[in-house]
Amino acid sequence: MSIRVENLTHIYNKGLAYETKAVDDVSFTVADGEFIGIIGHTGSGKSTLIQHLNGILKPESGSIFIGDAEITAKKIKMNEIRKRVGLVFQYPEYQLFEETVSKDIAFGPKNLGLSEEEIDERVREAMQMVGLDFATYAGRSPFELSGGQKRRVAIAGVIAMRPEVLILDEPTAGLDPKSHEDILNMVKSIRHRAGGIVILVSHNMGDVAEMADRVFVMDGGKLARVGTPAEVFADEAFLKRIGLGVPPAARMANDLAARGLASGRVILNIDEMTDFLADTLSGARESKS
Amino acid sequence: MNFVKDDKMIRIEDLVFEYGWDEEEAAAPVNAVDHVSLEVERGSFTAVIGRNGSGKSTLAKNINALLLPASGRVIVDGFDTLDDAALWEIRQRVGMVFQNPDNQLVSAVVEDDVAFGPENLGVAPDEIRERIRFSLTAVDMYAHRKMAPHLLSGGQKQRVAIAGVIAMKPEIIIFDEPTAMLDPEGRAEVMGIIERLHEENITVVLITHFMEETLNSDRIVIMDRGRIAMEGTPAEIFSRTAEIEALDLKLPFAVELTARLKERGIDIPAGLITERALSEHLLTLWKGNETSDLCPSE
Ligand SMILES: Nc1ncnc2c1ncn2[C@@H]1O[C@H](COP(=O)(O)OP(=O)(O)OP(=O)(O)O)[C@@H](O)[C@H]1O
Ligand SMILES: Nc1ncnc2c1ncn2[C@@H]1O[C@H](COP(=O)(O)OP(=O)(O)O)[C@@H](O)[C@H]1O
Ligand SMILES: [Mg+2]
Ligand SMILES: [Mg+2]
Repeated sequence: MSIRVENLTHIYNKGLAYETKAVDDVSFTVADGEFIGIIGHTGSGKSTLIQHLNGILKPESGSIFIGDAEITAKKIKMNEIRKRVGLVFQYPEYQLFEETVSKDIAFGPKNLGLSEEEIDERVREAMQMVGLDFATYAGRSPFELSGGQKRRVAIAGVIAMRPEVLILDEPTAGLDPKSHEDILNMVKSIRHRAGGIVILVSHNMGDVAEMADRVFVMDGGKLARVGTPAEVFADEAFLKRIGLGVPPAARMANDLAARGLASGRVILNIDEMTDFLADTLSGARESKS
Repeated sequence: MNFVKDDKMIRIEDLVFEYGWDEEEAAAPVNAVDHVSLEVERGSFTAVIGRNGSGKSTLAKNINALLLPASGRVIVDGFDTLDDAALWEIRQRVGMVFQNPDNQLVSAVVEDDVAFGPENLGVAPDEIRERIRFSLTAVDMYAHRKMAPHLLSGGQKQRVAIAGVIAMKPEIIIFDEPTAMLDPEGRAEVMGIIERLHEENITVVLITHFMEETLNSDRIVIMDRGRIAMEGTPAEIFSRTAEIEALDLKLPFAVELTARLKERGIDIPAGLITERALSEHLLTLWKGNETSDLCPSE
């Protein structure tokens, strides 16, 4: 399974005074098994772009291939695509509509025509993966949950479909630190098990640096940069100019470098930061004697 | 009932709140807020953290009388939320800003959105114009007053939402995860405004999942299962690392880095909880090393 996007353009409210070119001539490919992080300021077109990948939005022009299937072709069966490409929306709380949590999560698998047992098994597994205790939450109304709990229900509903391509639009916004970490670990474990493609849209630069094989940077509807985390996060000035930033470790390393204490390498996480500082600060002392 | 004004802006006394629950369910209802007592100083900045479902938003909604106590009391600037006659006074004093910038703005033009609240309070047109000016200026959005909100970035929308609250001249503003949906620049903008409001003696309550955003607060309150689990200054709170982790929270970056550097034998004093403070110290250490390198006689 791979993804190929060619010259994709999306225009909202075409022809009206306030028409917006939300995605502007974007092309890329994603290889089987790749983990892509997408960053970009609010309104840069991230959500619009990824909603094309499972056919929710239709482009103004351009084409998208999921594996061999051109999903932008006229006669494509959208159900087939949605089975393979799972999308967790940015505001998943609005995706909830059933009267209980377990029914809500079962909704997708039911549409796949699975047996009752299979559905039940998937619901339990998905709830476990997102850290919702079955006994406590299965029978509760999804509308009577805290913000973070609703988000987990929505994520569980998508992973219960076991999609080959999993797309998450800011899935950890509003989650407490532990749940945040749990969701990231869950994403990692799904990927490990299924080996599919994962696309993560996030404002958390540290998460993207840690998880992604490649980072896509969106700016004003365009794909402004593509590269490994080390390549993309090496340019803090550029990222700041477009409303973004770098992971905390990189921010601090750059600050120290500007004041004379330079590492001479790209520091992306706390491990690298610790090594650099421990070496520099104790090394100086040792080299004296 | 009107109490004497004092230095406590909010007094929460043994507050219990439970949402209605399903009669058929065997399990007893869990109190969303469970015997909480808390006093908030006039003009202070209180950060509230805690895991999902711990009762933060429920507590906040009890402060502006969106929700009312099952037992206990909430007194806002002397007014009891259970007193029907006080509702107006309380709503005027407490403004709220929520997570999602997209569904807080209701009008087609920025300045209309800001005028919406004061209009509902029956403020005179001249006064409204003045309020639009100062509140949009306060969030650096006056130049955008004629724009349509949907053309703004997330951070800008959130600033307009804050202006709408400022225009009501509240004494307390409760921010319920105001930066959760924002990009790094938007987050920095909103945090800058929160700190400025605090400097101008607005009483600020900030609910957040970002530990970094609590570091300039006067006090952190940690909620757990409807109760207050910990309370203290940021430096106190983040020195209790084992407890923080047991509550499913995280240490701020500088605190985590300090712990790791100490393990590697680097000498760092307690209490450097911000990146800036830690950087200063590291630079001093490094310069000390450099000078001693240059002067071997030392
Ligand atoms: N409308 C509601 N009806 C019933 N129960 C609710 C409702 N809203 C919240 N609860 C429950 O009340 C408890 C506290 O929820 P609250 O929204 O105050 O948590 P929170 O600390 O704000 O969480 P989060 O960090 O996820 O926003 C949770 O157990 C939640 O499931
Ligand atoms: N449903 C919509 N109708 C009209 N314009 C929209 C809609 N959704 C998004 N836009 C506009 O498209 C642009 C890109 O938005 P979006 O894809 O949501 O960006 P991001 O996810 O990067 O924040 C923005 O200018 C936004 O205002
Ligand atoms: Mg988006
Ligand atoms: Mg909440």
